Order: sequence, then C-alpha cells, then structure tokens
Amino acid sequence: MNLLQIGALRARYDAGEVLHGLDITVEEGEIVALLGANGAGKTTTLRSISGLLPHASGSIMLGGAPILGKGPGAIVRAGVSHVPEGRRIFPGLTVRENILLGTSNRGRLARATLSDELEEMLTLFPDLRRLVNSLGWMLSGGQLQMVAVARGLMARPRLLLLDEPSLGLAPLIVQQVFRIIGDIRARGTTVLLVEQNAHMALSVADRGYVLENGRVLVSGKPDSLWNDPKVRSAYLGGVVGADV
Amino acid sequence: MDTPMTPAAALPIEALAVIPAARWWRGLPAALLALVLVIALTALAPNDSYYLNIVMQAVTYAIGVAGIVVVLGYCGQISLTQAGFMGMGAYVLALLTVRLNVPFFAATIAAMGVCGLFGLLLGFASLRLGGHYLAMVTISFQVILTLVLTNWIDLTGGPDGISGIPRPELLSGPHAYLGLCLVLLVCAVLFTWRLKLSRLGRAMQAVRDNEIAAGTCGIDAFRIKVIAFGISAALGGLGGALFAGAFAYISPDQFTFDESIVMLTMALLGGVQSPFGAVLGTFTLVILPEWLRFLRQAYLAIYGGAVILIMIFLPDGIWGWAARRLYRRPKPVQGRLPPLPLLSGVTGVANGITGENALEIEGLAKHFGGVKAVDGVTFAVRRGSVHALIGPNGSGKTTFLNVISGLYRATAGHVRLGGVVLGTLPPHQRTRLGMTRTFQNIRVFRGLTVLENVMIGAERPGNDVRGGAAVVARALAALDFVGLRHEAGLPVGTLPYGHQRYVEIARALAGSPELLLLDEPAAGLNSTEKQELSLLLRRLKGHGLTIMVIEHDMKLIEAVADHITVLNFGRCIADGAPQAVLTHPEVVAAYLGEPQPA
Amino acid sequence: MLSILPQLVFTGLGIGAIYAIASLGFVLLIRAANVVNFAQGQFSMLGAYIMLVLLVSVGVPYWLAFILAIIIMAGFGVLFAGAVYWPLRNRGQLPVIISTIGASILLPNAVLAIYGPSPATVSGLFTNPGFMVGSVFVDTQYLSIIVAAGLMVALQYVVFEKTMLGKKLQATSQDKEMASLLGISVAGMVLVTFAYSAALGALAGVLVAPVLFVSVGMGATIALKAFAANIIGGFGSIPGTILGGLIIGLAETLGAAYISSPYKDAFGFIILLLVLLMRPQGLFGELIAEKA
Repeated sequence: MNLLQIGALRARYDAGEVLHGLDITVEEGEIVALLGANGAGKTTTLRSISGLLPHASGSIMLGGAPILGKGPGAIVRAGVSHVPEGRRIFPGLTVRENILLGTSNRGRLARATLSDELEEMLTLFPDLRRLVNSLGWMLSGGQLQMVAVARGLMARPRLLLLDEPSLGLAPLIVQQVFRIIGDIRARGTTVLLVEQNAHMALSVADRGYVLENGRVLVSGKPDSLWNDPKVRSAYLGGVVGADV
Repeated sequence: MDTPMTPAAALPIEALAVIPAARWWRGLPAALLALVLVIALTALAPNDSYYLNIVMQAVTYAIGVAGIVVVLGYCGQISLTQAGFMGMGAYVLALLTVRLNVPFFAATIAAMGVCGLFGLLLGFASLRLGGHYLAMVTISFQVILTLVLTNWIDLTGGPDGISGIPRPELLSGPHAYLGLCLVLLVCAVLFTWRLKLSRLGRAMQAVRDNEIAAGTCGIDAFRIKVIAFGISAALGGLGGALFAGAFAYISPDQFTFDESIVMLTMALLGGVQSPFGAVLGTFTLVILPEWLRFLRQAYLAIYGGAVILIMIFLPDGIWGWAARRLYRRPKPVQGRLPPLPLLSGVTGVANGITGENALEIEGLAKHFGGVKAVDGVTFAVRRGSVHALIGPNGSGKTTFLNVISGLYRATAGHVRLGGVVLGTLPPHQRTRLGMTRTFQNIRVFRGLTVLENVMIGAERPGNDVRGGAAVVARALAALDFVGLRHEAGLPVGTLPYGHQRYVEIARALAGSPELLLLDEPAAGLNSTEKQELSLLLRRLKGHGLTIMVIEHDMKLIEAVADHITVLNFGRCIADGAPQAVLTHPEVVAAYLGEPQPA
Repeated sequence: MLSILPQLVFTGLGIGAIYAIASLGFVLLIRAANVVNFAQGQFSMLGAYIMLVLLVSVGVPYWLAFILAIIIMAGFGVLFAGAVYWPLRNRGQLPVIISTIGASILLPNAVLAIYGPSPATVSGLFTNPGFMVGSVFVDTQYLSIIVAAGLMVALQYVVFEKTMLGKKLQATSQDKEMASLLGISVAGMVLVTFAYSAALGALAGVLVAPVLFVSVGMGATIALKAFAANIIGGFGSIPGTILGGLIIGLAETLGAAYISSPYKDAFGFIILLLVLLMRPQGLFGELIAEKA
C-alpha cells in the first residue's frame, strides 16, 4: 500500500520554479532515499510534503488522503513528522523539553504518558540519558541529531521525513545515526530520507530516487543506483562519470 | 516594487545618458519656475492673516518634514525627534535675535548649524545599531530637550516661552515673509530631490535597502547614517527657525514628542520617499484639521489611527501611490544600440597592486563556540584565474567567504589581498582595496533602478572613475557586458530572478575589482541561464579578471575553473587542476560517501 | 540628606517595579513575536481607566474592578494584535514599529475624547496607608507594587519553566518555523503573548493608579521607560529588563531628590544614553549580527 504518493509536484520559491514535476511513491514500512547534488530540489520536496511551501502544485497523498495545500500543523497531525536540515533544536530548552515538544501534535497528554514515552526514547538513544537536562546550545552535532530524531518520533508519525541527518557529522557518528534509522524502520515507521551522502543512504534504504535540477533523474534499488554513471555525474560532473 | 511591466521594455540611448544626476543643472529649471509661481502667488494672496498663518505653518513644517524624508525615506532610519530639532532651531534663532540682536539670516544659519551638529552627535550615539535603538535614542533626546526647554527658565524662558521674535527687516510684512518661507521651501525640496539622485543619496538608499551589501560595495554605512541624521536635523532646524520668525512667539509645548509623531504622520501620509510627498502630506494634515474643527478633541486620535491605516493600506503614501499609477513604461529602443567601450581597467592595475597572487590565505580558521566551521585553510588564488571553491553542504564554504569579505572576524590565520594583509578590516574597507562580491541569496537594492544599483558598484572608493558622467558610462558598460543594458532604467525588483543575479554581477564588475568573489552565482538559475552564466564567466576570464567562485554545479565548475579547492568539515582536502581534483578519491568520498568499491 | 536614602531606595524600587512589570510584557512580545511595541504603556493607561470606570461608574468592589480590568485588557490585547500587528506581520520590523507608534497616539487621545482631560484619582488597595520599619515609611501601595512585581516574575518563571504552554511559547520565540513543524500554532502563541502582555501592562496600570494620577498621558511615560529598561538590561532579556526597570526607578527617585526634581523623568533616559554609548548590548544582552 502506498503510504505517500506524490504526483507531478511543482514548487517554486521567489526565485523561480525549483521542482518541475516529480513523481515519487513511498510504500508503508520502506526506507526511501532521495539523493542528488546540492540544489537538486531534495529539501524543497520535503518542505512541500510537510506544508512549509505555499506555492506547490500537483498532488501529494498520504494514505490516500490529499495533504497538499494544508498547513504544517494539519500535516503533522495527519501523521507526517519532518526532521529538518540542520537539526533545529531549540537552543534555550533542555533535551527533555525539546523531545517532549515533539508531542505537540497530539494534544494534551497525561504526565505519566509523557514520562513513559520519554523513557522509551532514552532507551532508543542511550547517549542522551545523561544529557536530559542539558540545554540545546550545549550539544554536539551528533547529539543534536539524535535529539532531533527523537523529537520527530514523539509525534508518533506514520511517515518520518529526515533531511540530511549526516550533515556536518563525523563518520563514526554518521554510522550511529544510520543504525538508528534502521531501528526506526524496524519499529514500523516509514522513512523518507534526504541525503547528500549517497553511500550511507543507499546502505540503509530499500529504494532510492536521484534528483537533478528539480526532476527525477533515475530511481531504483540501491545497487543499481550506486553503479549508475548518471548518478556519479549528477554529483561530480562529467569528469568522474568518465573515470569510473 | 510590484509595478507590473514587461522586462523587455527598453530605454532610448539618449534617456540612458540623462538618467541620474549626470547634469549639474538637473531640476533647476523646474525649481525656477516654481519660484516664479510662488512669488506671484504670494503677491496676489489675500490679506487674511488667518489664512496666511495656516500656510506659514504648513510651509515651515514641510521643511522639517523634508528632513524626515531624508533620514527615514532615503536612509531607512527611524527618527522620532524631528519636532525636537524644529524646537531647537526655533529656540536658537529666538535666543540669538531677541537676546543678542543677531541678524535674522545669520541666526537662521546658526540654528541650522547647531541642529546639524546635534543631529550628527545623535546619529553617532546610535553607534552601529539601527532600528529601535535609534528610535529610543531620538525619543530620549526629545524628552530631555522638552524638559530642558521647560525647566531651564533662565535660558529659555520656561513654559512661558520667548516672545517678540523679529523677522528680517526687509521682509517683515506678512506677504514678504511668507514669500521668503516659500522660497526656502522650494530650495529645501530641490535640495532633497537632488540628494536622492546624488552619490550620497544612492549610498543612503543602499544602506536602507541592504546594509550588508552596501558595505561590500564600499559604503561606510555608519558614516552615511550619521550624515543622513545630520542633514535631517539641519532641515528641522531651518523649519523651526522660520517658524519662530513666522509666529513671533514660541513655547516648549509646541515641540513635544506628540508633534514629532504628527510630523512623522505627515511624512508617511504624503509619501516618505519624496520631498513632494512631504509637502503634500504636510499641507494636507495642517489644513485638514481646520476643516475638521469639530473633531478638534479627537484629531490626534485620528492621526494615530491614520498612521496605522497608512502602514497597512498605503505604505508609499499618497505621492508614492500616485507616482506608481502614473509610471510610464519607457518606449522600446529603435534600431541597434551603438556599441559601448569594453569593460576596462578590470585587471587591478587601477589599484596599483601587483604580484602573482591576487589572494593569499594562510591557516585561516573561524570557530563559533565549539564548532570549527573553518579549520585551518591555506591556498592562493593566482591573478587572472578562475578559482573555484567547492565542497559538500556544510563544509564551510560560505563561512569562509564571509570571513574573507570581512563579515566575520577570523579566529586565526591571515588573508592577503594583492599582498596587503586584511587583518580586521571591515567589509567596506576591503572593497576599497579592490574586493567585490555577490551573494548566494542575491542582495540588490530593491528601491533603486538597475542602473543605480550598478552605479553604486562603480562608485566604489578606490575605483578609477571620476565624475557623474564617467560613473554612468562605467555602469552602462558593465550592464552591457552582462547583456542587461536595455533594462537599465527599470526598478530592479521587477526583473526576473536570473536578471537580478546579473545586475549583482554587473554591480561587482563596475567597481573594476582586484578580486571578484561570486557566492553560488548559479543558485536558482535554470539550465539555459546556467549556460549563459558559464559563457559570461569565460568572457570575464578572457579580460584578465581574477575570480573566486563558490559553486555546487559541477558542470559549470568544469567549464570555467582553472583551479579548484575542495573543503570538507572546514578543511582543505584537495587543491589543484579540475581533472585531478574531481577524480581525487577523498573528494569523491566527500560527495558520495565512500569511494567506489573496486 | 543621606538619612533619607533608605526611604528613597524603597520608593525607587517601588516605582522601578512598575516599570519592570510593564517591561516584562514588552520583552515577551519581542521574544515571541519580534514586535517592538511602542504602545505597551497604553495597556497600563487603559487598564487604569477601565478600573476607574468600573469603580466609579459601575460601582464594583475594588478587588473585582482590579481583576476585571486585567481580564478585559487581556481581551483587548488580542484585538490589538489583530488590528495593529497581524496585517503587517510579514512586512518587516519597521512598519510594525510605526504602526504601534500610531496606536500609542490613537489610544490615549481616544480616551481623552471620551473621558476628558482631567486626571482622576483612585484610592489604594489598602485602607492602612503604611507603617514604619526603622527610619523608612513603608507605603502599603508601594509595598504591594513590589510584591506584585515579585509575584509576576515568579508566575512568569513557573509558566515558562514548568508548563507545556510556557515551553511552546519559548519554542515559538526561538524558532517559529520549527515550532510550526511540530504542530504548535504560531498564531495562537502570538495571540496568547499579546493577551498576556496586555494583561501585564494593565496590572502595572492598576497598581500604579493610586500612586500617580490616572491620566491619559501616563501610558507614554511608562512605555518609554519600559523600553529603556529593556535596553539597559539587555534587549530581550527577562532578568535584564527587571533589573533595568529597578535601575530606572532608583535613578529617578534618587536623582529627583539629590540633583534636581523637575528633571526627574530625564534621569532614566540619561542612563539609557550612557548605556547605549558604552555598552549597547545592555547588562545581560548580546549583540546579534546579521548573517550574510
């Protein structure tokens, strides 16, 4: 069953049209990777899904129901949680507060529920346990990423949008983050993952789409994408493609 | 600026030559005509003192309101003490003429001088903070001034004020004095109008529209704001001095914070961008209450409400709204445009700087708290080359560029431009040495035309153009080079995004830079535009310009770069010829994640 | 003269506490909605007048008038947000500032047109005017002002640090877009902030009403001093703004007694100018530079 179905998506900023008609599907329980060089339109795609882009046209269906045109609040209540690029942890709030704010789409919850769910997150991200009372601005990149993902999961989403989780992180931490992404899928959450680091993304994804200049260049299973010369040249220009 | 018009509309070449202040006599014929009219009207005006008083108030206020046009309309700084300056001018004049028998005109000039000085001081006191800080400083000044005027009785006469203020001997009759005020109003309007078209006016508008970009065009924003404040205060002082002479009696409660708000409303209602708006707004709001006498109690309330409504519905004021309705699309050019001389002096010889490397970076680092955005980078940019700086998202490229252009202070390391160590120089001084740049998210001056934007670039301190005509010619040549000469007269905000990008590049070119920094010039362009950009960059290289470009688009980089430096995690991981760098395993890994398994 | 110093300090703290309460509301609007509200003082003026009307014309008991004035003003804050802020929310800071300046002229003059210019007096909260503590006469109204300020700070602390709403407000002020991605209603948060700021302003007004005259001009001075308190303490800083308010109150009272009484209002502004010249970011503040 298609959890997410995007058809003929066009999006524009003031600058001009950035997405020129995208067709993307994500099935329930999958991890789908959205790859491409900087400026290809990956983040714009996620922002269109989560309702941050008012000037988008086409169709976006979540579980068969249209969500294009709705505001971010309605979309997160419908079950889409967006962990944006750069983490964006609230710097003046603690780790606990940041994570608990992830439940904002679910209305008032009992104190007991909140503490149980927080405990669940701390089990999933054990490194955060000792940081629970630390303020956002004190954390390192990797810690911020974990808090951001935990916060995103607290919304109990059907679909988790992850934007460039590896950005600016050391390789060891990146591996840790991607292990967690695998765990998330194991818990039953569908993931749409935007990444510049094609290798890591394809190592964990079930399928991938490669974007170039606002269009889908090629899509398919990780192996075929990794070996496709078009993908290399999308990132590194003609030179590299020829060399491989 | 949302005036709808087709970008293809163009100007005849003659009009291009006439565009901003190229002629010294610009506006004088109209001003002379106005003077003649004004004198005729005053001679013929009825002898009704009530009517004359109202007009006198409107005229003297309008001069003060023109000061608001300069500081708020042109320079974008909030001043809430214009009535305070009028009061200062009035009191200086009154004290000099009544107590010390100083002649009227000398006293008027003294009033303007004192106010101008206080304006400079107040502008200075706002230091480098704008917006609400300046508002607060001006309010404080106003409050303190009112208190001083009311309580320093020995000097100012206290709440009773000063009476018996004389007028100049030969112009003491009601018609004659009114004529004098009107003549000075025409002069003030002419001055303010021409200011907008002058280099100083352009600098003010640049600071208003985009202070950071103004800095990278060589404009010392702080200095410009202080000057704007000084001019505005001097105009307030002139208005106040004339006001004192008009009514022969002044008291502190005529120059309170409330009156400053009234003057602000006059400026906003008329249109804060134009001295004509100032006159329109002032006359409307002086005469209107006379007709609305029955609302006397509530008229200030209406003023307050009017300010809110104007902000919401009529932000350009009446004059601005009318000007936009009456805006005429320029006629398209007939026939071919004669060729302009190719861009000259772009090799940095103008700056007298020599040496093999245009830019040398040594151990440059920038840390934000614990984050090492740039972590020890060393390389050199050879003169006359196109040097690309690439790297994955978050690798520190933009931070690096901001440190080089002076927007951030380096944590460690050195930058040398043509051999000169840049140290902690602010952006406008780096520009003076020959560095110009563009921005990833385009920073053009939206309130100005295309040509004016590029003229600001040509007016870079240290550039080798002298005089208005030469500046216009250089700007047109730069626009010609990027292919936008036919759009010179258009408001830059009406251009499509790609063209705005070219305007920014032309602006940087017009300064004949030693080094041109381009920050993601291809961002937001479609493939056709990217190809055009690639051609443009190659033409620039052909002229011997030294360019450093940050880009993501690899095809563009391959087509134009002589040399590539790659950053990852703030460090330089490769530095050399494109072929070698783009196949370097570490670079491939940085972008794709892991080297290709065998 | 030094003997009256403790008395002056007490009075100065009392007045300063008024400015602190008014500027609390002011800071909140800056932090939650990025709005510099020049009309903040008018909330105090309106609150005082509403209480006056309720007491005198409607004949409501004191404590009820006190509370109703604050509640009504909270509602007014929402109206204010809708009329003065909401239409301009995307146009940048300058139009909003000017619009609030317009409101700061409209409101007192509207009241002037309705109520007339004569200042009114209101009796204090307590029938007992005060008591001696050592050499200091502790005026009960001033005491209640100081206590109220302390309570408001405590309440603000509790709300902000201990409730979900407080967290949402803080989150909205730190990163609007992220807050909206989590499902927090930014518009709702802004409205709540305006309502709360208006209520705080009204509280300052009803507390100070028995001490000063209730007049249409009282709003302007309070607004300017709240603003100044904010800058002295560090723009946007809550502890800073409290401290700033107290400093202004002390400066005024001590300056009036020891230097010159007619220039009382000037002392706060002189301190402000000094702060702007020497340490523009204020006591607790940080300079924020625009990024390229």
